[in-house]
Amino acid sequence: MALPQPLRVSVTPPELELVACQQLIEIVPLISMEKTAFISGAYGPLRPPHKAKIPIWMAVNLKLKKKCHIVPPEWLSVDFLQSKLTLETTQPAFSDLPFRFAEISKVLLDVASDDLDNPEKIRSLLKDLREARQAKSRDGLKQLDHSELSLPNLCSMEINEIRPVFIQAMSVLTRIVRNPIRTETGGL
Amino acid sequence: MDWDDEFDQLRHGGGSRPSMFDDDENPMGVGAGMGEVRMAEPYFEEEREETPLEQLTRHWMNERHAPDILPAREELLSNLLDHLRRQSEAVQLLRGDPSTSEEEHIRIMLVQTEIERVKFIVRSYVRTRLFKVEKFARHIAISDDIQKRLTAAERDHAIRHARITDQHFYLSVLQSLPEAQSHLDDTPIFVPPMVTEPDMSRPVFVHALRQCPPITLPDGASLEMKKGHISLVPYSTVATLVENEQVELI
Repeated sequence: MALPQPLRVSVTPPELELVACQQLIEIVPLISMEKTAFISGAYGPLRPPHKAKIPIWMAVNLKLKKKCHIVPPEWLSVDFLQSKLTLETTQPAFSDLPFRFAEISKVLLDVASDDLDNPEKIRSLLKDLREARQAKSRDGLKQLDHSELSLPNLCSMEINEIRPVFIQAMSVLTRIVRNPIRTETGGL
Repeated sequence: MDWDDEFDQLRHGGGSRPSMFDDDENPMGVGAGMGEVRMAEPYFEEEREETPLEQLTRHWMNERHAPDILPAREELLSNLLDHLRRQSEAVQLLRGDPSTSEEEHIRIMLVQTEIERVKFIVRSYVRTRLFKVEKFARHIAISDDIQKRLTAAERDHAIRHARITDQHFYLSVLQSLPEAQSHLDDTPIFVPPMVTEPDMSRPVFVHALRQCPPITLPDGASLEMKKGHISLVPYSTVATLVENEQVELI
């Protein structure tokens, strides 16, 4: 079996996390390291206390060994998230957040909560955001037809969440539209 | 320490090896797509070039979401595998050296972690293709169009797989059925065909990587996706855009 059953319908959240962790993030290193060539690019040199940009997975690795501090991205702050939450709850459209914010914020809250300002507040804001957006995407199911649905500003994790239902629903709609005669006779 | 040299060499396409970034400047070179590609160039130049790993990640995700088999990326994959092998060799060499310092150990550990991550992506990509090859084996065996998108090894595997399953079905069941029902490729009405084909109407989530030429939706409307646009549409409407790397599946 080349691909296990659960992986056939969709990608999994850990896989999305793997993809998201290729993005770069700023750190303040606590060790020095020469410039090194990795497969994804050359990173370094690390010279404490100068900031450096490395992939998130590398930062997480170093952070767990207490070899760096992570500089959280601008959007992972109480002020930014609060303003987005206000937009989210007052406007009908999805507010504009980084495409992989859910994965990245989870990773950073898990391993680097001591580098964040007020992690508890951030956590609860993220949760509120998620719930507000979830309600909207559920509402979006009403607009689903057989041909197209635009989803501006929807994020990677949210898409993955609605994927099974939306794809199934759209497939059913397609089948109904394509075979109208059979449904008419079936209705009688 | 020769990682740095190797990386530079790789970036500049190292000797006779074709540059890995060629792909991006002239995606696919598919006849019909050329006009749009040239038009879209300004959008492309603003961005930094995708690294080979980012390209593979994108193709991996596309492959996972697309109902059909996408064109094989043999050159990209073999370049990455080469790079993986060289990184592993460098790590082996340094690990065997007793004079490597504590600081070096962290470097080695990070390089090794990356090797494992890349291997995971490569494996998952190849396995996804293998799954589709086996699922659509009989369809591949009779369709030239889809064979063009496979590597030689994938094609051989598909044809062999189709032959063996045919043989098995024949020996275990079909030979004892009446003549009229003893074939795998008859097409009785009201019954789906027995050759599994990709379901091209399955909806997919697309993300436009740049301004796309207009596509026609099943209800007759036309949609012109701007860069960054996210949409849920049947795969058949965006299949060419996926092949021309104008959109990615998410």
